[in-house]
Amino acid sequence: MESSDEQLCRAVAEREPGAFDLLVERYQERAYRIAWSVLRDREDARDCSQEAFIRLHESAGSFAGQSKFSTWFYRILVNCCLDQQRRRRGWRRLVGWRDQRADGPDEPDPVEQAPAPFLDPVEGMDTERRMTKVWALVDELSPQQRAAVTLSCREGLATKDIAAVLNVSEATVRVHLHRALSTLRRRLGDEG
Amino acid sequence: MKDVHVDEWLIDHVRGDLDPADRARVDAHVAACDDCRASRDRFAALMTELARTAPAPPPIHWGAYRAELRERLERRTTGPGPLWAWLVRPLPALAAAGLVAVLVLAGLPPAVRTSDPIALDNTILATQLDMIARLDVVQQLDLLEDFNVIGELDELPEPQKS
Repeated sequence: MESSDEQLCRAVAEREPGAFDLLVERYQERAYRIAWSVLRDREDARDCSQEAFIRLHESAGSFAGQSKFSTWFYRILVNCCLDQQRRRRGWRRLVGWRDQRADGPDEPDPVEQAPAPFLDPVEGMDTERRMTKVWALVDELSPQQRAAVTLSCREGLATKDIAAVLNVSEATVRVHLHRALSTLRRRLGDEG
Repeated sequence: MKDVHVDEWLIDHVRGDLDPADRARVDAHVAACDDCRASRDRFAALMTELARTAPAPPPIHWGAYRAELRERLERRTTGPGPLWAWLVRPLPALAAAGLVAVLVLAGLPPAVRTSDPIALDNTILATQLDMIARLDVVQQLDLLEDFNVIGELDELPEPQKS
């Protein structure tokens, strides 16, 4: 029978061979996807998701099993991402130029290249443009709001799990989500 | 009536993420309030759209990802190793010594003396990178070129007297 995530985590704590690799394989795509959703930079997402796995390896013994493994791990991961974002912002403030994202020498991501949003509801825009616009607007949210939207709308986490991941109360998660989605609606011109 | 609106509960209501008591309260309010009902429907439409249109991250090679992770983990668990280990690895030691020599000879990093923000960024980033431990990074620097310059300092022409 396949081991649960929680059993694998305990096995990692006991340094059982293979357990860590199994957990990595199970979570690598989700970890990278969540990190990228928050950071919107491939290298940072790769770096932060790997760092989260390393911290998981180091602190697997502290997983008490009171929450789901995924919630515990996402908390580590999102903390890495928010730390990285704070470092990046502080760094750019220090050297005094504006926030410019670069994703290496590859083709620029269309979402990253999307123009800044304005109150410009475009009637009849096609799905692709609309998709680009919606997620470009998500990029403009605060890191906490963006994380809440990603975990809620993309990963399908419940409010209490998002609260545990972000280390805030459920009421705060509701406020984050409400403000984030209200902002998106307003900028998309969807206010009734 | 604004004070009894249930704005911040609407999203959880859409997601079916309310306990029975809260759900009954929001149901009752939404049934009687056109504004909140319309707002809930717009939230529902937006959340559906967000879930449906979420962009995929740039693809990466998972084998390389796991190999890099294993390498990082190994580095973290074994640490930098004893000092003597550097002696049997002349290239990183040489590269590190060269980097130190360049910085000492220059007095200050060149980028600090210029107003070029990219050069400044590179210099400060370099101090942030764990360059000594990351041989692959160090090897990509233009250190050999720096060594040449240092080695030929005495061959530089005398400055012309005006």
